[in-house]
Amino acid sequence: MSTIGRILLVEDDPKDVELTLTALEEYNLANEVVVARDGEEALNYLYYRGNFTMRSHENPAVLLLDLKLPKIDGLEVLKQIKSDGNLSMIPVVVLTSSREEKDMVTSYKLGVNAYVVKPVDFHEFVNAIRELGVFWAVINEPPPGSVGRA
Amino acid sequence: MQWERQLPKPLSAIQGYGLAVVCVSVSFAVALFLDRHHFSTVSQPLFLLAIAIVAWYAGSGPAALAVVLSGLVNDYFFIPPLYSFYITRDDVPHFVIFILVALLLSWFASIRRRVERALLQSREDLKREVAERTQQASLLNLTHDTIFVRDMSDVITYWNRGAQELYGWTPEEAIGKQAHELLHAVFPVQIDSIRAELLDSGRWEGEVEKTKSDGTRVVVASRWSLRRDDQMRPAAILETNNDITERKRREQEIRTLNEDLQKRGTELAAINKELEAFAYSVSHDLRAPLRHMVGFTELLQKHAAPVLNEKSHRYVGIILEAAKRMGDLIDDLLAFSRIGRTETHKKSVSLEQLVREALSEVRHETEGRNIEWKVGALPACYGDGSMLRLALINLISNAAKFTRTRPKAEIEIGSTDQKPDQVVVFVRDNGVGFDMKYSDKLFGVFQRLHPHDTFEGTGIGLATVQRIIHRHGGRVWAESQVDSGATFYFSLSKSGGG
Repeated sequence: MSTIGRILLVEDDPKDVELTLTALEEYNLANEVVVARDGEEALNYLYYRGNFTMRSHENPAVLLLDLKLPKIDGLEVLKQIKSDGNLSMIPVVVLTSSREEKDMVTSYKLGVNAYVVKPVDFHEFVNAIRELGVFWAVINEPPPGSVGRA
Repeated sequence: MQWERQLPKPLSAIQGYGLAVVCVSVSFAVALFLDRHHFSTVSQPLFLLAIAIVAWYAGSGPAALAVVLSGLVNDYFFIPPLYSFYITRDDVPHFVIFILVALLLSWFASIRRRVERALLQSREDLKREVAERTQQASLLNLTHDTIFVRDMSDVITYWNRGAQELYGWTPEEAIGKQAHELLHAVFPVQIDSIRAELLDSGRWEGEVEKTKSDGTRVVVASRWSLRRDDQMRPAAILETNNDITERKRREQEIRTLNEDLQKRGTELAAINKELEAFAYSVSHDLRAPLRHMVGFTELLQKHAAPVLNEKSHRYVGIILEAAKRMGDLIDDLLAFSRIGRTETHKKSVSLEQLVREALSEVRHETEGRNIEWKVGALPACYGDGSMLRLALINLISNAAKFTRTRPKAEIEIGSTDQKPDQVVVFVRDNGVGFDMKYSDKLFGVFQRLHPHDTFEGTGIGLATVQRIIHRHGGRVWAESQVDSGATFYFSLSKSGGG
């Protein structure tokens, strides 16, 4: 485990971003986090568009995706990723406030790799984020072409 | 009948020949009488008259006898030489003319008799046919169905009692009228295509709107049958009608009701969708700030711990606790609203199995407590397993909660059979109970009968139970006395029918 994988965090709420980053910081997982503020930005990152034309050519090791996003919502982002041959291998973890069964079913149908409901309790939240970060960015072997341990 | 008096009965053979003898005898007597009084040469017309009478009334056989007798008597008594059958040469033409006239008379009479016989025969035929037709017509009159016959130019030729009852016109009024004009028939399709079908297949049926004599409209199921004559030409149409106005009205009513129902269904679906959107936004947007409150308060607690005094720590604790409670409320409320929104998947389920599952869920809440569980016999019932399990969990965990102050809690779960197709399940405890005067508040959302610091809870559990049982068509109620336990009941259908 020489390096950790890059995490693409797609989250519109700055407070959630801060809490997530804080949780990841505690375990030194925050350095490789790229934050996209909406669905469009996330797709721009993945397709080297907009601000991300110059980004490095590896895909993130994991994508933490909120569902309720401005412009393009999380389910749409998920759908585009999973239907694109070049991106479909990127592990996507839905990280959402909603416990709605409908969202869960749709996400799994679209091929999501994990579905996590953000706990209200901060300790649980931190634990969840930490475990996600550790698992996807450190333990999990990402598909070839991802940032990190090739 | 009129004609029976006009035609005399034919005479029997004896009567006929007798008449011949009598007539000739009478003519002879009259001729003899006149001859004595010097009226000669009247004998021949007299005998011809006799022959004519015989031929007319008795037919050709007796007429022939009369000719022979008249010839002989006339020759013997009146044609010289008298009292001899000898005929002089001069008398031959005389005699021949007599015979020819007599034969002519007989011939006319026989023709007349033949005509009379034929007439009688056809009269008999006619009588039979009339009787037959009358009987058929009276049979058709017996039926309640409306039957009438129209000729090919649509003129009514027969009209039964059923037709009179349905449409109000008597046969006298209806027969001879144009059927479609009389009844103002409105056909479902072009009349030409009906005629084409009738001529093609010999029958047609459909629903026709008609008007009664009093002006009211009726819808009838109409069946037409085509009658053809000996040359296979279309001759008449037999039409039977059944009044289906009431049925059509009910069908229309059902259609209207269905449309209403559909509209209501659509409205409900829209409301449901709105509710769903509401719940969705609640679950997202209400939980996020809560999470931030908790998250940042915890961060504050962590970062500022050294500078916070005891009171501040307590305040921070209260903030966290309140936020957690709000989180629970939102979760419960969402679960509650989900019960109303999701479809129930009903099938036969074992209540015993459900209670076992519910007990294992509640077990961790009751660890270390002295609880005596009693589970009675429970039948199978018809319902949504996961919903009913949730209802049981709520009731059982309530029972566990409100017996917490008891050194030894007793919780009993069982069932009673009151109606054949219904089961009543109860959960009884020896807990703190409640005052029955607040029982109407028991099942309301956010309604609580105990202070929060004594017995925690969101006040949604029993509302959830009620909603679940109501969705199963059942009833839920409770009995209690303060400080002597409570019993909660709910009824369920045992099979899918109820």
